[in-house]
Amino acid sequence: MTSPAKGAPGQAGAILALTGPAYLWLTVAILLPLSAMFYFSFLSEAPLAGKTGEWTLANYRAFFEQGFYGTLMLRSLRLGAEVVFWCFVLGFPCALVLAKSVKGRWREALFLLVILPFWSNALVRIFSWTMMLRGNGILERAIDWVVPGRFRLDIMFTYEAVVIGLVHSYLPYMILTCYISLQAVQDDLIEAARSMGASRLTILRRILLPLSLPGILAGVVLIFVPVIGSFMEPRILGGRNGTFIGTVIEDQFTAVFNWPLGAALSFIMLGCVGVVFALSRLALGRRG
Amino acid sequence: MRAFSLGGLGRVYLVLVLLFLYCPIIVMAVMSFNESQFYTLPVKWSFKWYGALAGNERILSAAANSVGIAVLTTLIASVLGTAASLAFFRYRFRGREVMQLLLFPPIAIPWLITGTAMLLFFFWIGIGRGLHAMLLGHVALALPYVIIVTSARLKAYDPDLELAARSMGAPPWMVFRRVTLPFLAPGFLAAALFAFAVSFDQFVISYFLSVPGTSTLPVEIYTAIRKGFTPEINAISTIVIGFSMALLLGVARFYKFGGERK
Amino acid sequence: MTKLPAARTARSLLATAATLALTAGFAQADEIRVLNWQGYGTDEDWALEAFAEATGHTVVHDYFNSEQEMLTKLRTNPGAYDVVLINTAYTGQAAAEGLIEPVSYDDFPHADGISDAMKETAALYHDGQLYGIPWVWGVTSIAYNTEVVSEAPQSIELLWSPEFEGRVGWRDDAVESVQMAAISLGQDINNPTDFDAIAAKLKALKPQIRTFWSSENEWNQYFSSGEFDISVYWSGSAARSANNFGLPVGFAIPKEGAIGWLDELSVVKDAPHPEAAKAFIDYMIDPEFYVKWDTEVGAPVSANADAVAALPDKAFNKVMASDEGVAARLKFLGPIEDDVRQKMLEVWQATKTEFQN
Repeated sequence: MTSPAKGAPGQAGAILALTGPAYLWLTVAILLPLSAMFYFSFLSEAPLAGKTGEWTLANYRAFFEQGFYGTLMLRSLRLGAEVVFWCFVLGFPCALVLAKSVKGRWREALFLLVILPFWSNALVRIFSWTMMLRGNGILERAIDWVVPGRFRLDIMFTYEAVVIGLVHSYLPYMILTCYISLQAVQDDLIEAARSMGASRLTILRRILLPLSLPGILAGVVLIFVPVIGSFMEPRILGGRNGTFIGTVIEDQFTAVFNWPLGAALSFIMLGCVGVVFALSRLALGRRG
Repeated sequence: MRAFSLGGLGRVYLVLVLLFLYCPIIVMAVMSFNESQFYTLPVKWSFKWYGALAGNERILSAAANSVGIAVLTTLIASVLGTAASLAFFRYRFRGREVMQLLLFPPIAIPWLITGTAMLLFFFWIGIGRGLHAMLLGHVALALPYVIIVTSARLKAYDPDLELAARSMGAPPWMVFRRVTLPFLAPGFLAAALFAFAVSFDQFVISYFLSVPGTSTLPVEIYTAIRKGFTPEINAISTIVIGFSMALLLGVARFYKFGGERK
Repeated sequence: MTKLPAARTARSLLATAATLALTAGFAQADEIRVLNWQGYGTDEDWALEAFAEATGHTVVHDYFNSEQEMLTKLRTNPGAYDVVLINTAYTGQAAAEGLIEPVSYDDFPHADGISDAMKETAALYHDGQLYGIPWVWGVTSIAYNTEVVSEAPQSIELLWSPEFEGRVGWRDDAVESVQMAAISLGQDINNPTDFDAIAAKLKALKPQIRTFWSSENEWNQYFSSGEFDISVYWSGSAARSANNFGLPVGFAIPKEGAIGWLDELSVVKDAPHPEAAKAFIDYMIDPEFYVKWDTEVGAPVSANADAVAALPDKAFNKVMASDEGVAARLKFLGPIEDDVRQKMLEVWQATKTEFQN
């Protein structure tokens, strides 16, 4: 095999042959569609069925003129933040136990057990929550069994139900990314700190958390992005409380047939995600 | 030696999290054996819905589509992705970083947006929707995963091994068969299984690209949830979950998720 | 397991082969695709079997959850469907967009039983041409749990009453929601004028609504698990929930009135099998089909007078069809102007946003 070297003549052909097909594919299936969508977002109507849309900014203006789009965008951002928060609160300790407190075959088995659900169909798992949460469902029955009494949990079709479903969907991501970076933390380092009299809390705060920050951040991104764009989970679990920017965008494409507006809302959503990440990078950068 | 032991408390916590993760899945599986159509409790055990599933051509054909697309996606994405990662491994060239960066949109942009963009573009330029369009989309989603996984394996590959084998007089095909292939095979297999799983579980893209009469299993399940369904959906969901989990165990066999394992 | 997978496969293969053998005798056995609500008559197994036996054509279905979705499915899937069910409020729009084909009553032998008044319903026509065959009509009103609500609701205001706080089911549909509010406010349901009052009325539903439902099956599940006690619902569906699923459902038409609607069946533009499509529509208005549908499953009122006449005398639909008191209270859904519909969508979208906790 040739060792890696700076582009020698004759290599160009090989590189093209090797990467060309994959990138051609990505261009046709991802890049061009996104560009087309960007183009549509500036049209007054979709240029389909013999119609020609005119150049306009009305779709972007609609977002700012109709107050509820903004409200829903904020609601989706809040949902993203809350789901990320709970995933971290539940997932980090779990990753910590796995990485630093369990060893050997047990760790391997437990680790697989944690990520196993994540590999099963997301839709199916969301669906399974409807049976847990609904009125007179498993959860209410279970509580009733432990603490008898006419107790109504009333959690199905609420914002909380959507959060629960999404946390369940994305928790394994956080555990996975935190686990990988926690594992890279040398045990010797922890030992050294302890021998110098550091308490558990100090070790957690001064060593484990800072050193696993890349993993935590990877988890945050991997969770935040899809949650902002979720529409299936809110539709199934949210009921009356299931309106988010994602469901509105889906509606524009599958029901209302206002593709330009849907396109504009999509790019505004992407913009918001971008701003959130830029801001958090800034904040992190300032601190460290 | 445990570096940061949380003792029994940690274990208990882990068990609770596992309970949270598995509870709904177990409930669903149990409900698939419940005779009542509206999931009323207590459970009356029955295989009725599995029987009904066998006669449900919609679901069966959707399942066949899912498997078919996943197999094709696996083949195409593995070949194209491996080729690209070989180029990244062997050559340093201008634009390499940009090209690697380009792998991220399929992962980092919400599927809702990629999916609707595909719907809009394919419909607009006449590619249309249906199985071929889904295949286009699935391969694009699977490619970055394949490239990342195979690249990781390639990074650990030492070309000197080949050199050594060749210097001892082994013919090239023998070097490939005995040295290169055995080393790289687990990575390729893991990548292929990744591609299969990405495609098999994909809902959003398929949802926007399906046409009447032609859909995949997740789309059919969603339609059923939204538009009227029976516990047959639980039955097929239970089968799907079982299948996906078996798949992961396959991947775990070839790909070290947890990093070091001692 | 009761049977081995292989045995099951063999059985389904045999069944397929048998079907093929049966249908081979017909000159033209087409597979037609029908777009409809789920569980709404056209997809009854026994009906499809009878239709296949009579004509050789088989039928497959695709479903929608809202009229908007139905129109978009037609727009984005040209040439995919043969027959579509359209609420007459949307027939004009579908025809104007070129989504459906003009038809003539002459091609439908069973249309003879449809009264002239029904045949001439203005909403079926666009530019002077007929675009749909009237199929069934019904009422959107209040369904209630007879085990919880002892007496049939007399007033639409019950939906807003504190008595049913958090116990109301509602359909997530802009037009229907605005129209229910319009009825309670005494406004014209097809052209409401005071949208501010409607918006305020709809916002007042926030504490009332337990959940939205989007399909009949979903409704049945929520209802049977006690999620809501009263709900906006359709007359035919209420009949099905009671007859077919044995749920304790009552259906009331309050004194303020209710939404009356007419559903028609149209041949889709560029339908791959237009002749089979027409045959299917004709079968759908066949009294024989209707009587079985209504008595065994539950249905709205047939547009075909012969079909209603063929019902047993005490049948709910026969009584309702002849009850002039009911007829007087119904506000029929007519064509809605584009700008009015747009306004309805906006009001509902804004209201839903307010609903969020």
